[in-house]
Amino acid sequence: MTTTNSTKKQVAAFEDLFTWPSDDPRLIATKCKSCGYCAFPKNFTCGNPNCKNKDVEDILLSKRGKLWSWSTQYYKPPPPFIAPDPYVPFAVGLVEFPEGIKVLGIVTACSDPDKDLKIDMDMEVVAERLFVDENGDEVIGWKFKPVG
Amino acid sequence: MNQNGEIAVIGVGMYPYGKYPDKSPQEMGVHAVREALKDGGMEWTDIQAMAASCSANLGGVGWLPGHFLAQAIGETGIPIVNVSNVCASGGSSIRAIQTMINSGCCDIGIAVGVDIAPKGFYGALGGTNKWDYDYIRWRGVGMENPSYWALECRRRMAEYGTTEEDLALTKVVSSRHAQYNPYARYRKVFTIEEVLASRMVCSPLRVVELCPTSDGAAAAIVCSMKKARQITSKPIILAGCSLTSAVYGDPTIRIMQLSAPAKAEAPLVSDAVLAFNAAYEEAGIGPEDLSFAELPDNSAWHYLVYMEAAGLCRQGEAERLIREGATAIGGRIPVCPSGGPSSLGEAYPAQGIAQVCEMVWQLRGQTGQRQVEGAKVALGQTYGMQGNSSAIIMKK
Repeated sequence: MTTTNSTKKQVAAFEDLFTWPSDDPRLIATKCKSCGYCAFPKNFTCGNPNCKNKDVEDILLSKRGKLWSWSTQYYKPPPPFIAPDPYVPFAVGLVEFPEGIKVLGIVTACSDPDKDLKIDMDMEVVAERLFVDENGDEVIGWKFKPVG
Repeated sequence: MNQNGEIAVIGVGMYPYGKYPDKSPQEMGVHAVREALKDGGMEWTDIQAMAASCSANLGGVGWLPGHFLAQAIGETGIPIVNVSNVCASGGSSIRAIQTMINSGCCDIGIAVGVDIAPKGFYGALGGTNKWDYDYIRWRGVGMENPSYWALECRRRMAEYGTTEEDLALTKVVSSRHAQYNPYARYRKVFTIEEVLASRMVCSPLRVVELCPTSDGAAAAIVCSMKKARQITSKPIILAGCSLTSAVYGDPTIRIMQLSAPAKAEAPLVSDAVLAFNAAYEEAGIGPEDLSFAELPDNSAWHYLVYMEAAGLCRQGEAERLIREGATAIGGRIPVCPSGGPSSLGEAYPAQGIAQVCEMVWQLRGQTGQRQVEGAKVALGQTYGMQGNSSAIIMKK
């Protein structure tokens, strides 16, 4: 990245939700070592009422998952979401990962979601700009991008 | 269960749903309470307990609504419980009074809910803590409330073949009922074409397929049957009243959450399924015994899913039932003869209690052109985010 006099940084919007900085950003989840419990964001315990173990670990979800569903939002979400101006409708997607969890995220690299997206298509996790903050830093969040 | 004998509802009242920039929540709530007292032929000083639904929209008054209402009507030292179960608060308030009567700590109580809703869709709750799911879903995803429903709705369309016309028809049917309900904010009758021509909000859900927000209030007086028979010859029986939460493995993606289980190890909307079953069991009936159902049609998707969760039909069959006219007044199982939240609008603290008002009026035969003929047994149900549901069954 070129630095200038006013150095722009990239900052993750959240600690501990996804790996950043990284060439291969992944979602950070919690998995129980005994049962199928998987949580995002991370959890401090196993939320399965029938599991006696409660011994959990952080895992990185797979790079890819399948698009379980999506919705294109035609109205600008309010703060604390920082929307581009003028607002361009974007899709939110629910992606199913092999680890047994469906995760929500913005769908990126898709200009006409209702036409181009298909249920069960392959999606990959990326880290991308959400907005530029008051310091001029790029605030980075996780998003889902159609594969291929 | 009703160990101490039956429970009745003897007075109901509502502030008509609408938009009232000049009204305070106290004024609307007191109106509903006074209407219920008048309907029951009693005084405020007869009330021995109060449960009031909280609202996130009313600042300090919404945090302690029961106390602010009591100050307006007259403080009498009674136990006041403020109930914060989001859209299941009204049903939870009824449940609270039922529980108090069953435990013997009072004979007669009132449940009340009131709201002044913000314009447009609900926004963020305002927290910024890193563990606050609400902050994360807004800041990181811009995820709006109805988009959660839209995700489920699109998936349902792929799995069951639900069409856009099926979604539109739910609004059409409810609007036909609402035209006869003076308490409903929106009474225009819609055609399928008009619904399909309306703006898309969060695909595949259109603006008139999502319930708008409203101001409104509802109150219901609940008492032991022994007390009821002293007051009226026509008590309506609270035959079943349940309060449940969700079960681990429920695959529904819940408002505020960022994830959901991929594999269903519990039913979709498990809290509602449990609530319906518990209410049926307590009332000693099944869905086939119902004269009508007031379901929370917050969106076209909800109308379909809650019909199935209530056992009105099998999984995937709701669309067919609606197309056959079964859910219209005059059909086999009318849904939302009041017009439902899609026509009243959403004043979530009042919702469950407004359903009780409609059920009582229907069972008494007082609902005019929206009357379900021969109504004998009614179901009302609400659900709130994070897996929160209450089902109420009333009998003549």
